[in-house]
Amino acid sequence: MITLVAVPLLSSLLLAVLAGPIARRVRPTIAVPLITGLALSSALCTGLVLSVTAVLAAAQLGPFPHHGQWSRSALHTASGFPLALGMIALLIVAGCLTAATVQATRWLRALRLVRRACAVLSPSVGNLVLLRDPVPVAYSLAGAGGRIVVSTGMFAALSAPQRRVLLAHESAHLTHRHSLYRHLTSLAAAANPLLRPAVGAVTLATERWADEAAASEVGDRELVARALAQASMAAAKTAVPLGALAAADHGVADRVRLLLSPPKRPRGYVTAAVLTGLASWATTAVITLWANDVVQFAENVYTRR
Amino acid sequence: MAKGRLEMASRRPRARGALEQELLACLAAAQGPLTAAQVRDELGHDTAYTTVMTTLARLHEKRALERTQAGRAYAYALVGEPLDAHANVTAHRMHRLLDEQPDRAGVLARFVAQLDRYEEDMLAKLLERNTRAGRGSAFAGRRPRS
Repeated sequence: MITLVAVPLLSSLLLAVLAGPIARRVRPTIAVPLITGLALSSALCTGLVLSVTAVLAAAQLGPFPHHGQWSRSALHTASGFPLALGMIALLIVAGCLTAATVQATRWLRALRLVRRACAVLSPSVGNLVLLRDPVPVAYSLAGAGGRIVVSTGMFAALSAPQRRVLLAHESAHLTHRHSLYRHLTSLAAAANPLLRPAVGAVTLATERWADEAAASEVGDRELVARALAQASMAAAKTAVPLGALAAADHGVADRVRLLLSPPKRPRGYVTAAVLTGLASWATTAVITLWANDVVQFAENVYTRR
Repeated sequence: MAKGRLEMASRRPRARGALEQELLACLAAAQGPLTAAQVRDELGHDTAYTTVMTTLARLHEKRALERTQAGRAYAYALVGEPLDAHANVTAHRMHRLLDEQPDRAGVLARFVAQLDRYEEDMLAKLLERNTRAGRGSAFAGRRPRS
């Protein structure tokens, strides 16, 4: 029975593998919530089954059998896994919980920082903040109504239709709450490090979402691809080295390619991802019920003595 | 709002706020002051002249633009820089702070990332290939999917 613990772990691994292709090939309005939702559910399932394992092991230790009035040996034989395994699970659960807490505090700190930034950056029109700066810069900040920050240098590097693409892209990020999805996926990945690739996948998929939204706004995918290429070439010319961090951002070349030749819609990936998610939950339910039975059995043995 | 021969290019009428932002962007990109007619030419004809004119006037009322008399029309420009010098410094400091966040991707969504040499070459090639293939031929009949 305890080997079933591997199912949520395997399903996390499978999701980590599928997240990339899903982000690339599935329609982003579906891909983003799908990856985020499955990452969260996967982190939760993994946490739950590991906790159950840890609890079954911890219940055999020290004064617990006496206090809880269950038989230590019955618990040990009925659960049928070495105590060491349970201890490892306990350590992993503690580590993951700590990591998730750290990530959650980071999130809160980031929210506060963004709120402060939004208060400082007073918009010229609507939520557009115009920077008088020849260096091409363009980004959006989510929070407090959101801000789209663009420098005059970026606008000057683009044609009028391309500027429209940029504005549509950035406002899509804000209206569709992309930062929320990104934060949630980071949280899931902190709680379950196997899900790390999902973070990059969601970042790419949200960028694609904004690209596609801009494309349907201007009615021309090629125009969006050109705007992206133009903007990044301009930014590259006046590159202010931001270090390795900026290079880790999601590939413009990838996005351009996907705009120019939209991928065929693959049903298989989505189905596979959803099925693994469901398998994860089913296993979690089975293991929880089984653990309940094991403890009950140990209690019966204790009272019969 | 959308009219004329480029109607196809504009599938949805623009929201008022979006047009205001586009006009501001247009003047931000321009070297000097522009009249309403010049702005409309710059935009590419899919918005009526009167719409451009009233929107510019509204932006002037909101103090986002300043205007000077240029012959019989007004020429619009961004409001004077000195006011914003301080704001610029603050914005850059904020940007750097946000950029140093451990989960930067959740905080700040950049329009484009920095390119490495390989990506730069690939982009140039991709765009070139699509230009040669002829505008539209590769995308004829393809609608955006989201």
